[in-house]
Amino acid sequence: MVELRARIFAPARDPLWGALLSLLASLILSFAAIALSGRDAMAGFADLAAGAFGGPGPLGETAIKTSVLLLTGLSVAVAFSVGLFNIGAEGQLIWGALAAAVVGRSQVPGVLLWSLLAAALAGALWGLLPGWLKVRRGVHEVISTILLNWIAIHLVHGWLIAGPLAASGSGAEVSVAGTAPIAPAAWLPRLVAGSRLDAGLPLALAIALGVWLLTTRSVRGFEWRAVGAGREAAQASGIPAGRRICEGMALSGALAGIAGALLILGTEHRYPGVFRTGYGFDGIAVALVGGGTVWGSALAALVFGALRAGATRLQLVGIHPSFAELTQGFAVLLVAAPRLFQPVLLRLRGRALPPSSAPPIPTVQP
Amino acid sequence: MNALELSGIVKRFGEVLAVDGISLSVARGEVLAVVGENGAGKSTLVSVASGLLAPDAGEVRAFGRSLPPGDPRAAIDAGIGAVYQHFMLVGPLTVWENAVLGREPRRFGFIDRRRARDEVAAAAQRFGLSVDIDARVDQLGVAAQQRVEIVKQLWRGARVLIVDEPTAVLSPPESAQLLATLRSLAAAGRSVLFISHKLREVLDVADRIAVLRHGHLLQATSRAETDARQLTSAIMGLSRVSGTPYETPAARSDSARHGGHGEFRIVSPKLEVREVVCRSDRGKLALRGVSFRIGGGEILGVAGVDGNGQAELAEVLTGLRPATGMVALDGDPSFHRSPAAARAAGVVHLPEDRRRRALCLGLSIEENLALGNQRAPPYARGASIDFGGRRNKALELIRAFDVRPPDPRARAGALSGGNQQKLVAARELRGGAPPRLVVAVHPTRGLDEQARQRVHEALRAAREAGAAALLVSLDLDELRALCDRILVLFDGRSTGEVPPDASDEQLGSLMLGQESAVG
Amino acid sequence: MNLILDFAPPLVFAALGGVLSERAGVVNIGLEGMMRFGAFAAAAGAIFSGSPWIGLGCGALAGAAAAAVHAILSLKFRADQVVSGIALNLVALGLVTYLLQAMFGSSGVSPPSPALPRDRFGHSALAYAALVVPLLFHAWLAWTPQGLRVRAVGEHPRAAATLGVRVLPLRALCVLGSGILAGVGGATLSVGLLGQFDSRMPAGQGFMALAAMVFGKWTPLGAAGAAFFFAAADALQRQLSFSLHASDLRLEGVFLALPYALTLLVLALGIGRTRAPAADGVPYDPEAES
Repeated sequence: MVELRARIFAPARDPLWGALLSLLASLILSFAAIALSGRDAMAGFADLAAGAFGGPGPLGETAIKTSVLLLTGLSVAVAFSVGLFNIGAEGQLIWGALAAAVVGRSQVPGVLLWSLLAAALAGALWGLLPGWLKVRRGVHEVISTILLNWIAIHLVHGWLIAGPLAASGSGAEVSVAGTAPIAPAAWLPRLVAGSRLDAGLPLALAIALGVWLLTTRSVRGFEWRAVGAGREAAQASGIPAGRRICEGMALSGALAGIAGALLILGTEHRYPGVFRTGYGFDGIAVALVGGGTVWGSALAALVFGALRAGATRLQLVGIHPSFAELTQGFAVLLVAAPRLFQPVLLRLRGRALPPSSAPPIPTVQP
Repeated sequence: MNALELSGIVKRFGEVLAVDGISLSVARGEVLAVVGENGAGKSTLVSVASGLLAPDAGEVRAFGRSLPPGDPRAAIDAGIGAVYQHFMLVGPLTVWENAVLGREPRRFGFIDRRRARDEVAAAAQRFGLSVDIDARVDQLGVAAQQRVEIVKQLWRGARVLIVDEPTAVLSPPESAQLLATLRSLAAAGRSVLFISHKLREVLDVADRIAVLRHGHLLQATSRAETDARQLTSAIMGLSRVSGTPYETPAARSDSARHGGHGEFRIVSPKLEVREVVCRSDRGKLALRGVSFRIGGGEILGVAGVDGNGQAELAEVLTGLRPATGMVALDGDPSFHRSPAAARAAGVVHLPEDRRRRALCLGLSIEENLALGNQRAPPYARGASIDFGGRRNKALELIRAFDVRPPDPRARAGALSGGNQQKLVAARELRGGAPPRLVVAVHPTRGLDEQARQRVHEALRAAREAGAAALLVSLDLDELRALCDRILVLFDGRSTGEVPPDASDEQLGSLMLGQESAVG
Repeated sequence: MNLILDFAPPLVFAALGGVLSERAGVVNIGLEGMMRFGAFAAAAGAIFSGSPWIGLGCGALAGAAAAAVHAILSLKFRADQVVSGIALNLVALGLVTYLLQAMFGSSGVSPPSPALPRDRFGHSALAYAALVVPLLFHAWLAWTPQGLRVRAVGEHPRAAATLGVRVLPLRALCVLGSGILAGVGGATLSVGLLGQFDSRMPAGQGFMALAAMVFGKWTPLGAAGAAFFFAAADALQRQLSFSLHASDLRLEGVFLALPYALTLLVLALGIGRTRAPAADGVPYDPEAES
């Protein structure tokens, strides 16, 4: 049985501070790496900022990436709240994207809404599976979600997109192009001319608000957190812990599924033959850096989204866009060891170290 | 020169002083028994003696040589071998692998398997301990596992064997066999430090007996100078009985409820328990047909040495453990089918392991206060949390029970043990609708006097409000102060039900399993 | 068959790395990242030194260095082992691409590196090592004092500690060893097979190695066997995709998903009592009240 200590969504302001600090520190580390390799770090920073925020075009790119990261980050954070470590947002995102691409081709009225719902449902089912395996079969969710990711990747990319769902018409080359395009009615509406900014951002923000209300304001969300913070105590107090875990994992999967839909309905407009997102894995970083809170995750998503968007510009000064991933890795390394980090945090806030300061991330013990 | 000598040992865990300046010695060929209730510091003392824990002060000497603190290897090398209460055996390894771990006989860099097996088998044989040395340890029964522990230590050349609560998991014949083994070890010149709370065994096996209470050494006498009654009163701290400061129920104005000569007249039993049988986690029979009744406005005390079925009884009543037999609350026999059902029926629980069973340590005080009642006002309004109502209720409860810090947003895990228990008591007794059945297990264990008073007041208040209550406690003062009757359990059976003013002698012999005809 | 001996070694080494770390009680989902460091360092070392063997050594060292970070975070700072592994994977993803760009001016592939020599069957020494190392590992784990201690520490660290086994140093050594094995696995991909580094390496092989470890029930022989089995599924899939009928069906993905699906099935059904070491992932605190 797994015991989890989680201070996820706890009524504390620490996570936001933690997020800010680790983000800043990792940015400094990354730029130091650039400076060490003999390139102009300041110019790089200026380019990065321009690539992320300089005008409607770059802002649109940042918005798209931020909204997807926000949703996958929330997906991981919601799983944290019931005490599970969902490594599987990538697989859930892939099924969501596929469902959106398939439903988006139909001509029914309200196709956009149906596509989003289909994506949420597909993701939810792929998220429910590890939850159910955990509760009923005692399979550790970290292992099962890793396995499910690769099952999804190979089934969708290696089979469905290449075979049964490939755009029909001409032979083998078409498989590279992915599925047939979705109906224009299923496109997420663009909001500003000259930018790819679409309705995905307001949608993601609305969902974030909803998740925040649900997890911190509703009784059901309280029960999730109680299960995550102490499964035995929650069970003894009459909360059906297994059910709550399954619910949380289904919501977690649904959020990742919608993230996949945003990519398809907003920019790709089909399920492309080559679709390497990594957004699901990045969602883990977003949630960890965000301390498992909604607004911490939003902050982390914004920074990582801007990094991803701006990093393309960095190539102009000879810095590879992998800079974004590097920064993200540093940020997670920094939050990975809260003991490394907490004294600084507490000194900043002028308090002594509490006797038993739990880490801001769940501790998983099989 | 003594085989093992502990002098001035002090060990604290956080704020808890587990062992406070204990000095003890074991001579060669001697069996020294250490007795005391749970939490008296026995297990901590074992860990210090075996080098597993470094003491905060004091010294451990073996055969005249001082041992470096917190170094198990040095203790082993000096001939100290410990058999812990929770076996220190690696389940998937074989018996001989467990025995030689850390000191493997080698041949060309590999384990010398034949030598290891032969030597372990020889060590087992020398003291008549029968074990299959090629069996996987996790496929052995507990008694066999314990023999493996002893063989392991003997193979290592332990000249001082420390055994911590060895019989807690054994059946009576198995226990008898173990005690015989320990005696034969002593006869062969080895020394034994025997930790237990079962007095009969202690009196059977020990040459000398030391009593611990609250981390202090109360007395250390030779077997001849003491007996069961004297030990019982020392362990339970009964020396204070004569001048008990508590008002006993017998003195209360409504004492008329009690009939004479142990006949209790209960008008309408709230809780009726008949011939209840259940098993422990290890699959042993924990309750073997217990029956009793509790009326509204009555507290039934349950006394007995730990591990005689009290914990399981509480779990049955709160829906945490399945049982056969009849258990009915106000005539409803299905209330204990699940924790949720029990809670809905008005059963509240102050569990023994509050940190795991009652609290979500990562959540705040106010969130923990809402746990179990989270769906009803004032904690919720419809589907959403009523933050204002919850906060006000939390402040009220915090004030009423004096929970410190009085900050509803503080994390429950950061509170001291006493404040955690006040938190649990506040929630269970005053957090929701008035309870119909209160199940409290060692509710004041580890609490300071003031916290203790709060919990007692709350239990009395629940009784005045008409609830039935079951109070499991080792503290006879507490049972006398609160209970209307006291039920004594021994080995899963009731050995008697007595009024709270029953004598120490009477309670003591019931706890030792001597059924009494006296009421 | 030839394809299997090509595909299996990276998986075998990485899966053995997983076994070593997890049998000692430290969860290692950073195998992917350790392989990536190993693959890159091996190629870079081979290119700069001109010797693929030195490259191999660099790969092993890089894997160990990455593992050292995991060991420090998870053992010294008692970080969550899963988080630490994830962080390692993320850093590997970014840092290696960055180094590739910085050292070779390309974000796709490195220049060709000297490759390990191959015998007349087309196999490098590593292919044969992949057959032998699991046996040696098994013998070590089953029959040596160190192996016994590793098994004990992963199951019941406190029991081992009571007998004088030093838990944390032993765990740290196992994590380092795990990094060396994963690094060699990565090196097998670059200097062993392809003769250069490709920025997509190891393309999920670290995770497949993890699956092989689980499928093989955390035993060296089981994990290696599973790695060969998975490699066989991969080889079969490639053979099939050459034949026309199968390529019409486009079933590669199904074959590739099969190892993962089978592993999940084995876990879900509890076939043969698949069980992780009891203390796997549980930080050990010597001062905790037992």
